[in-house]
Amino acid sequence: MSKFEDFAKLHIAGDPLVLFNAWDAGSAAAVAKSGAKAIATGSASVAMANGFGDGEEVPIEFAIGNAERIVRAVELPVTVDFEGGYATDSSDLTANGRRLAGTGAIGCNFEDQVVGTDRLYDIADQTARIGALRAGVGSDFFINARTDLFLKAKSEAHDSTLADQAIARGKAYAAAGANGYFIPGLTDLNLVEAIVQAVGVPVNAMHLPGGPSRADWAGARIARVSHGPFPYMAMQAWLEAEARAALA
Amino acid sequence: MASNFEIFAALHVPGNPIILYNIWDVGSALAAIKAGAKALATGSHPVADANGWPDGQQVPIDFALANATRIINAVEVPLTVDFEGAYSTDPELGAANVARLAVTGVVGCNFEDQVIGGEGLHPLNVQVERIKAIRQAVGDQFFINARTDLFLKTQTYDDALIDQVVERGKAFADAGASGFFVPRLADTAQIERVVREVPLPLNVIAFPGAPDKQIWTDAGVARISHGPFPHRALMAKFEEMAREAIS
Repeated sequence: MSKFEDFAKLHIAGDPLVLFNAWDAGSAAAVAKSGAKAIATGSASVAMANGFGDGEEVPIEFAIGNAERIVRAVELPVTVDFEGGYATDSSDLTANGRRLAGTGAIGCNFEDQVVGTDRLYDIADQTARIGALRAGVGSDFFINARTDLFLKAKSEAHDSTLADQAIARGKAYAAAGANGYFIPGLTDLNLVEAIVQAVGVPVNAMHLPGGPSRADWAGARIARVSHGPFPYMAMQAWLEAEARAALA
Repeated sequence: MASNFEIFAALHVPGNPIILYNIWDVGSALAAIKAGAKALATGSHPVADANGWPDGQQVPIDFALANATRIINAVEVPLTVDFEGAYSTDPELGAANVARLAVTGVVGCNFEDQVIGGEGLHPLNVQVERIKAIRQAVGDQFFINARTDLFLKTQTYDDALIDQVVERGKAFADAGASGFFVPRLADTAQIERVVREVPLPLNVIAFPGAPDKQIWTDAGVARISHGPFPHRALMAKFEEMAREAIS
């Protein structure tokens, strides 16, 4: 079985794959040693670790090189947070997808915000973008289509109307060839479950400190829980405390 | 206003050492600064580990230089880079590589005397030529922290070994080194002798189980670095956190 197939099979609704996000080869190796079944990067973590702003400010050459180093460092399947694919034009998206798949990564996150703005691509544009990415990455590649609807709206506005929009997007992304659907920011488990029931592809929730537990996500039929930038931020706080003790 | 070169050199005070909590990327640099670091030092081993290469100049020089540039762009305090053997055994080529490093804006580097990828140390006369060439290439202010790997090549830390350490330290000083780094040197009496006989600020490495820093401070050490240990500790902690999250 290929790494892609291994990875796809780990997405089980109600028994979610947990991804503790890494940012470099060393952190990926540490996650692998902990017994993880797959490795995921977080774009914000990669950006912070290397002094770039988030939002595709990490140069694509660096992002690709970092992905190559991570893939080389671990045996596990690696999925890369590829933000918006570093392109708006579909031929560039296809080319960037080809480069990413060339690193040996078997999946990526691909978001629907217009990077650098408050807007999302409309559904037609984003489905076209998913198609363009698919043309580059090939069939054996897990496109985790992310909607930024819940990150752009305050949590008070996370209601059934917004969930309906998320369902419309999720269905369209799945029809366009996405393998999974990522809904970071949403923690209302009833809305989560409604989305899971409707979209027809494995759904990924983002773990938030103080948010729903893994068991809660499992109960809402989530198939994948990732940790976004929080592992990196926790490690930075730990490192700072260690450094303070050493410097004292 | 004092330059970063001057600030960094002035931090090397025998009996009041600069503590360097070694870093490997921008994020770790920022964490050290938030913790109050007055200067930053990379470790070659953590840079290698963090990016999936073995230590011993397996990190491509272009990556090492780009990494230094990213850190320099993110911080104000002086940065010194662990540059191993300057990526060449040839004195002139090594010096040219250190000159490239200096262009990034770092204030200094570690430069070691072991034969990377080979056996033992470079003969003293060769190492002296390598240091002289670097000094010639980078000017007066760049802090060349000349390292001897004598302690890393033996288990017998006796007086005869210290004789060799002192001989190398004096020769490195004459060749233009700014500091002397003896990783694994830990014994108080041995440190005191090296401090007394080698006319350079002495750098030792704090390893897990090492004597209390105050003991080394009292012995006249001018710089205490942490080598690969901060990164190793962080990765052990990260592994533990990951295990907790995925179980």
